[in-house]
Amino acid sequence: MARFHDLTVTDVTKTIRDAVVVTLQPDDADAFDFTQGQYLTFRRDFEGQELRRSYSICAGRQEGQLKIGIKRVEGGAFSTWANEELQVGDRLQAMAPMGSFFTALDPASERQYLGFAGGSGITPLLSIIKTTLAAEPGARFTLVYANKGVNTIMFREELEDLKNQHMGRFNVIHILEADAQEIDLFTGLVTEEKCAELFRGWIDIENVDTAFICGPEPMMLGIAAALRAHGLSDAQIKFELFASAQPGRLKARVASKDAASAANQAEIAYALDGATRTITASKDTSLLESALANQLDAPFACKAGVCSTCRCRVLEGEVEMVANHALEDYEVEKGYVLSCQSFPVTDRVVVDYDQ
Amino acid sequence: MDMRIEDYLAQGGVLSNPTNVPPRYRAELMKLMTSFVDSELAGAAGFADIINQGPGIRERIAAARIVLEKTDHAARVLQVMESFGVDADRYANHHPWTARLDRDADIGAARGDHDMRLAVFNYPLEGWADAVVMNLLMGCAVTVQMSDFQKLSYQPLAEVFRAIAPVEARHGELAEEGLARLMGEGAGEAILASVSYWWPRVAASFGQAGSLRFEAMRAMGLCHTNNQTLRAQWETEAMAALGRVGIQPA
Repeated sequence: MARFHDLTVTDVTKTIRDAVVVTLQPDDADAFDFTQGQYLTFRRDFEGQELRRSYSICAGRQEGQLKIGIKRVEGGAFSTWANEELQVGDRLQAMAPMGSFFTALDPASERQYLGFAGGSGITPLLSIIKTTLAAEPGARFTLVYANKGVNTIMFREELEDLKNQHMGRFNVIHILEADAQEIDLFTGLVTEEKCAELFRGWIDIENVDTAFICGPEPMMLGIAAALRAHGLSDAQIKFELFASAQPGRLKARVASKDAASAANQAEIAYALDGATRTITASKDTSLLESALANQLDAPFACKAGVCSTCRCRVLEGEVEMVANHALEDYEVEKGYVLSCQSFPVTDRVVVDYDQ
Repeated sequence: MDMRIEDYLAQGGVLSNPTNVPPRYRAELMKLMTSFVDSELAGAAGFADIINQGPGIRERIAAARIVLEKTDHAARVLQVMESFGVDADRYANHHPWTARLDRDADIGAARGDHDMRLAVFNYPLEGWADAVVMNLLMGCAVTVQMSDFQKLSYQPLAEVFRAIAPVEARHGELAEEGLARLMGEGAGEAILASVSYWWPRVAASFGQAGSLRFEAMRAMGLCHTNNQTLRAQWETEAMAALGRVGIQPA
């Protein structure tokens, strides 16, 4: 189960104008024994609302340090706070490293890797590149790194250092959206067509064993299409997507009202798949059962309060959840309930399965 | 630059961790995973009771191995569910996985009230030969289903399915070997009866043709081939497997 651990901030370094690298010292070091490419999920209270955000580790495994990169997102509460207020000595809470954006390492292998990073998508790739080049002496790594312009390139110097340290085994191709470069091909967006051109002269695509992609959605689609068109299988392509749609602020829960009681019947409005239907049902029947009895295609699986498939959010009214082995406290605080375990208390209840 | 996650998925995009899955996607993914885990656990539990009925030590080893590996496969998918907050230990013990209905219960494709196992796993096995037949037919079905599962858009789960697909395929081969031996011993008639018992029940596990959910699932990249195509594929492969051991079902 997800558990949070305490960490202390031991260093905060600005890399570019709106991004910081934060070094952390966990109280329980064993809990943070990470694999390259993994991320940490943090939680913090902002004006009484808990926010959770995930940031990738940017250190190599052999560095013996836990570092993450945080780029400020417009309107993002957590990333703005980290960039403007976070200081050495501050305490943070994070879950143990998670994610599967990596492949197993083999020191005896002589594999060729290809990485694509868009903007702050470089963070997990930096961890992968550092770890792989150190752990696999025969490995070669090519990185295609897309940015708006020269001054938004995160870890630019660190990448140069890596090139010198692993002479001939590491190569970076910078693609800049706005700044002109000597070679036309290196200007613009990394699209499927751009990749196809890179594969013609700059990247030996036929001998690539594994490709890693971390960036915004359209970029990932274009690159994946190009890789597949050049013979890579799904098993050879590793993705990491942190959707740009992580909300900066949480909406306040609608206050409970209408607490009066009628003859053991409740009017329940279900929002499901974009439509809302209202039914009248017994308060002794769970929200899920009432929905199913009325031919609503509500999602469910275990019906035992364990799997969380039937999770929905109470927008109005009150329900009683008799068992909960799946939702965490912060979800319950936000009004989420397991509909298989929840029974109407008020005469009117509004629930939403779509959020 | 900004793209809706639904559009990204509809265009073949891949999701990589629990933080970026939309609610409906999460629900369907959980449903798919619970159905798989429950079927594997129920299948393994049912088969465990049959191990000692194996006619020889080789058969018992094969059966024990299938039980072990199916349980392991459930554990691997459960691990993905864990990353969504499921309590895996509690989950694995929340239901008596050996529970079965009557052999004659007619439940079609309906699932039980307590878990999400495929309907076919609610029927009891009747002895060794019956178990081998069920395992062969279901083994073919799993192989067909796995070919689709390996393409699904949640990468951590697709990777688990890619890793376990060859092992699941081997279970079907073990069943075929077992069946060949039983045929050699003249158990043809009992086997034929088992085939006609299990055939419609395994077929029903592919779901109904023209299911409305299919389009929604396909838009999310959670399935790629429709029920009737998968079932037709299974029919061809199951017929071929039966043919190889000399069984011609009516």
